[in-house]
Amino acid sequence: MDLIGNLATGFSVALTPANLGFCFLGALIGTLVGVLPGIAPITTIAMLLPFTFTLPPASSLIMLAGIFYGAQYGGSTTAILVNVPGESSAIVTCLDGHQMARKGRAGPALAIAAIASFAAGTIATLIIATASAPMAWLALKFTAPEYFSLMVLGLTGAVVLAHGAPGKAVAMVVVGLMLGLVGIDVNTGAPRMTFGIAELGDGIGFVPIAIGMFGIAELAVTLGRPQDRTLLDVKLGSLWPSREEFRASVPAMLRGTALGSILGVLPGGGAALSSFAAYAFEKKSSKTPERFGHGAIEGVAAPEAANNAGAQTSFIPLLTLGIPGNAIMALMVGAMMIQGVQPGPQVMTSQPELFWGVIASMWTGNLMLIVLNLPLIGLWVSLLRVPYRLMFPAIVLFCCIGTYSVGNSAFDVGVMLLFALLGVFFIKVGAEPAPFILGFILGPLMEENFRRAMMLSRGDPMVFLERPISAGLLILSAVLFAVLVSPALRSGREKVFQE
Amino acid sequence: MGRRVDIPDLAFAGFLLALGGLAFHLAGELQIGRAGEMGPGYVPRGLALVVVMMGLGMALRALFAGGRAFPAVAFRPLVLIGTAVALFALLLPRIGLALTSAAVVLCSGFAAADVRLRENLVLAVGLSAFAVALFIIGLRLPLRTWPW
Repeated sequence: MDLIGNLATGFSVALTPANLGFCFLGALIGTLVGVLPGIAPITTIAMLLPFTFTLPPASSLIMLAGIFYGAQYGGSTTAILVNVPGESSAIVTCLDGHQMARKGRAGPALAIAAIASFAAGTIATLIIATASAPMAWLALKFTAPEYFSLMVLGLTGAVVLAHGAPGKAVAMVVVGLMLGLVGIDVNTGAPRMTFGIAELGDGIGFVPIAIGMFGIAELAVTLGRPQDRTLLDVKLGSLWPSREEFRASVPAMLRGTALGSILGVLPGGGAALSSFAAYAFEKKSSKTPERFGHGAIEGVAAPEAANNAGAQTSFIPLLTLGIPGNAIMALMVGAMMIQGVQPGPQVMTSQPELFWGVIASMWTGNLMLIVLNLPLIGLWVSLLRVPYRLMFPAIVLFCCIGTYSVGNSAFDVGVMLLFALLGVFFIKVGAEPAPFILGFILGPLMEENFRRAMMLSRGDPMVFLERPISAGLLILSAVLFAVLVSPALRSGREKVFQE
Repeated sequence: MGRRVDIPDLAFAGFLLALGGLAFHLAGELQIGRAGEMGPGYVPRGLALVVVMMGLGMALRALFAGGRAFPAVAFRPLVLIGTAVALFALLLPRIGLALTSAAVVLCSGFAAADVRLRENLVLAVGLSAFAVALFIIGLRLPLRTWPW
């Protein structure tokens, strides 16, 4: 099928009233959590995951995706007006966006941020639509060794891009892989590491882990930090950017979109990394780098375009290969699997409505977001005045109800509590939970492909190096890893994370 | 003397050793098999071994890498939110969603340093009503509303 036909299929799904409604709901919730500091999109997606299980698969993915890219829009509003990133990918938007607000240019900064996000979202949707078909076609040639090597690459990427010590990130991946294996072994039916607990037969629940680590644990740690929400009493003024501002930001948007689209596809990549890289690139390539940090419009346009593009293109590996590139995509895999959809290249051929419907919905969602954001900005700002102490008890309650409702099981709530405590421990010792959740999701898949590959080769591990695609992927992983432990890059990486 | 030790790293190493050791023990009861025909215990055992080795390496480094104290933990939110979650698991099957929600909100509300009693009470009643309306009436989750 050609691109137009595919997109037509997609829009026929995305434009049904029900799916438009879920898309709108997702975008709205996403904007809301994006605006509110202290509530991350991953928390929200984890929290709402259980409630999407009753929806049709396409609707549920459309809504969850909407939350993710919606948060990229919302995050910039808080960054510009309050100088607090509503969301981690908006950190760099604070630098110049807030300076513009101080100079009375808050309106144009917000407008450029929204326009940049929309432009990037539109382009990224087209990129996903064109890149997915060849990717999925390539993936259909994959057999067990290739899949195994691909997952090695994905996990390596997650380690390279994790904050903090690489050793800890590797350990977290391995712990995740190991805990992913708890439950009945699919090949032999033997219960593994279950302590004889019947509830663990199907493995440790994905929802309790995700909600515990990304919902409750984050919340408990956030509450321990001092809250700072002094709202800048800025006049929004006119939203329209001046001609010069517009002219300066268009190329920056395009550069940001290009960079973000590439970084989003990389394993471990996504929105936050894209915005950092785009800001750094704009500053380096500018003829007047001294303007950055004092209200340069390019410093708003490029990262805002990049984070939205990165957020969207990080769906490519998920939709075509079934491999999540970051923690949010790991939650999406969880959502798909509980819906009974096995993520992988076959989704595109066996369920084209789902595949293209989600892609097309990204564009309708972006259109809705620009409408939601610009005229309603006053409403979002007033939400910032709601104190956090009125919000977090609701999150705790919804996390509990969500976890319980998956299997009507109080046991799951207990598991969630355990992983919440573990999550706090991980945060305190400086071990990131994102590599863990990726390992946990990929654990059973990796083991299955590893066992199958080794069985076909009769126990000869060389099979992973004899097949060209598999060897290429492993070599790439090794290079990435070597670069990671080389001292030169390590200092550079720390610098990037510090900025 | 204790100054030289990296406490967070040592704690993480301890966690790895404990978890890896436990997994190794549990997986030991499973059939291992051969590389060409792996039993259910092959991969878990291998991974547990890797975890233990990483734990050992990290522990050694933490002992000599130089001092870092364990970061401050805000126990108030941790304990209160943890208790709220435990309350939910214990109470929901017994007394229904309405009262459980109120208890969870009341308990977790005190995790905020700037909590106000009356505000928290209102929030508990409001969120409880909202939860019943949304989850039982709206989404029709199979939950009881009241203890009876």
